[in-house]
Amino acid sequence: MRFHIPGALREFAGGRSQVEVEHPPATLNAALAALWRVCPGMRDRVVTEQGEIRPHVNIFVGEENIRYTGGLATRVTAEAVISIVPAVSGGKGGAGHSVFLRPCMLQANIGGAEHPSSS
Amino acid sequence: MIGRKLGNYRVTAKIGEGGMGVVYRAYDEVLHRDVAVKVLRKESGRSSATNESLLQEARASSALAHPHICTIYEVGEAEGELYVVMEMLEGKTLCDMYGQTGLPPDSVIRYGAQIASALARAHGRGIVHRDLKSANIVITSDGLAKVLDFGLAKHSAASSVDDATRSLATIENASSVSGTLWYMAPELLRGEPADYRTDLWAFGVVLYEAACGRLPFSGRTGFEISSAIMREMPTALGPPVPPALWAIIQRCLAKEPAQRYQRASEIQVAFEAVQSAAIVSATPSSDRGGPPLTVFHTVRHVPVRKRDVVLLLGTVKGAFILRSKVGRRHWEVGGPYFHGHNVYALAYDGREDRQRIWASTQNYWGTFLRSSDDFGRSWTNPQHAPIRFPADTGTSVKNIWQITPGRRAEPNVLYCGVEPAALFESHDAGETWSLNRGLFDHPHRPRWLPGNGGLALHSILLDPSDQKRMYVAISSGGVYRTDDSGQTWTAQNQGVRATFMPNKYPEFGQCVHKIAMHSSRPERLFLQNHWGIYRSDDHAATWDDIGNGVPSDFGFALLVHPRKPDWVYVIPVESDEFRCACDGRLRVYRTRNAGSSWEALARGLPQRGAYETVLRDALSTDGLEPVGIYFGTRSGQLFGSRDEGRTWEKIGEGFPSILCVRCAVVEDHSAPAMPTRSRQTAPRVRPRTKAASRSTKRRSMK
Repeated sequence: MRFHIPGALREFAGGRSQVEVEHPPATLNAALAALWRVCPGMRDRVVTEQGEIRPHVNIFVGEENIRYTGGLATRVTAEAVISIVPAVSGGKGGAGHSVFLRPCMLQANIGGAEHPSSS
Repeated sequence: MIGRKLGNYRVTAKIGEGGMGVVYRAYDEVLHRDVAVKVLRKESGRSSATNESLLQEARASSALAHPHICTIYEVGEAEGELYVVMEMLEGKTLCDMYGQTGLPPDSVIRYGAQIASALARAHGRGIVHRDLKSANIVITSDGLAKVLDFGLAKHSAASSVDDATRSLATIENASSVSGTLWYMAPELLRGEPADYRTDLWAFGVVLYEAACGRLPFSGRTGFEISSAIMREMPTALGPPVPPALWAIIQRCLAKEPAQRYQRASEIQVAFEAVQSAAIVSATPSSDRGGPPLTVFHTVRHVPVRKRDVVLLLGTVKGAFILRSKVGRRHWEVGGPYFHGHNVYALAYDGREDRQRIWASTQNYWGTFLRSSDDFGRSWTNPQHAPIRFPADTGTSVKNIWQITPGRRAEPNVLYCGVEPAALFESHDAGETWSLNRGLFDHPHRPRWLPGNGGLALHSILLDPSDQKRMYVAISSGGVYRTDDSGQTWTAQNQGVRATFMPNKYPEFGQCVHKIAMHSSRPERLFLQNHWGIYRSDDHAATWDDIGNGVPSDFGFALLVHPRKPDWVYVIPVESDEFRCACDGRLRVYRTRNAGSSWEALARGLPQRGAYETVLRDALSTDGLEPVGIYFGTRSGQLFGSRDEGRTWEKIGEGFPSILCVRCAVVEDHSAPAMPTRSRQTAPRVRPRTKAASRSTKRRSMK
């Protein structure tokens, strides 16, 4: 499996933009657990302490946002390309609104999105 | 007993004998499997009511289905004998495994995590073990830890206390003392009842002996043992025991229950963190785990020296550090640190020889607590968020609103107030944190409501005269006080108005914006409410409205003069709907008589078109003579006064929206070893003497 790592989290992946993890086909949850074993600092930044994906973080398996394919139960193949990207958000309040861009649209500025104002 | 039948079970052999009874191997003639049957010792004087209580507890324990708890199949009574039928385990007890030198640390950590998860499950179901010890933990041939005898020890624990108290006169050597005594928590020896935390103490004893092969508290008699438990500190464990494991054990063995972990689930989380760290260290490429420190190479730093005044600024786009000499005439600006992060809370910890800045950062990627010991050049960057709700709460931290160092006498204690409203505390200088369950489990909590900024615990006050008393304020929940180090909390809002509730004076639910106290008069508190300024003279039990003459009693920030307990500062805004300085005139209001009257302080502040807002943590003081007062606005302006608020100067502008201002004077004893000025050293910012400069030129943050 290959993980695309956003700019903000690369310091927890040895500076790499991609991390390869050998893992048989599994759920996304198991695939992420394999990533956490290699890059433990990423876990608490991508998921909450209760194991839920953070509200302004999107995960794509290939081109599909996993919010529409079963969430953490999404099946991933051993060759899957998994992208972790921040949602493009704006507006007032912590929830803001999120625009889900596909990974191909985000390669140029991955990790560079502005955080919604919490005012 | 061999050959006898108890219900469907034919007893085939005796396995062992303990304080509670004899354990036999038996054969289940219905399900055709081997089981273990514990026949409880007949005790003279044990009533039928006691028997029933014991049976009930055993039945409750039988519902604990968990991979690290020995399963109880059945409890029953036959021919006057109570018996418990359990899973037959093949393995060794923990006490038979650790030998003279203890187990390897990775085994202790692995078994420790398993035992912690077992305790967490039982405690979550309201079941206290009461007799946890290494003889009650079996390591199976599959390498799994299994805890035995949950809920069965209620009565035997009491008899061990008797042993301990009797021992002074009658017990000659330790061998005649019940083995349970070694594991007994100080509060049990004082005759107090067992709760979850007595199990956590015993767990600490188990971990200690598993790690080094000896007990933490020893003695030749029961009296000596109990004296050691009550008064002595265990010998510190060094290598090969890793510091993180020793920290967990120490926390379990805190003499006061309130100083221990409060739930087993917290220990489980601590072990998980240690395990993750172990994985990192085992990874060949050490850079994979991420740096322990973040060094900010590309931002300006200020060179801070002893006796300098330091202003810490938290904004919606990062933190800044400003520094001035003691005259406070010229300020240099360092930062921004944590580009793009909200920094709601900052704190300076100058206790002992520290000069540590704490910051909470929040963005897409969660909320983290960071610290710097070199005035911002480098910051800790924890791999795992240390402030986290335990799994059983189903709750996640959204933001850290307040960081409060503990009292001088408790130099390693820190508190954090978070959103959703909860209090976390650390007893090891911020290495590990635990949720205050007394407050989190308060029956009011489900009925607290989020305010505009979320459901936040934003204020923490420590009573300097009583180490067990502290206050928190929650928006919207009100003020809560504990008098027992956080074990229990009571709402303290009598007289405080809740304009938005049908009942205007409810027991709790007020939208309190800030509370403050003067250390010389800890019985007196001041409160800025969502409408209303109040004072209490009786430890928050009752409150009186003191908004006499302020143009609006709506506001956020509130500050007590560091030396004059009757002097209080507020910065009103016009109304709930229009949260800006009244009439576009930025004014601080000060009382010098504890709220009987207020005076406007406006010299040097913009008095036309200044629709400013000052948030609850954006007002601070330096404690120097004369006292300096500082505040920051949501439009990014920073103002200061060197004469207790009589006149003001603009220290800076163009900052991102300011959330938090904190001030500290670097103490003489801790002269920092800061590098001399380099080309990255900050430019000097001169305070403005003209009051109403409305320059909109802003510093670029990118």
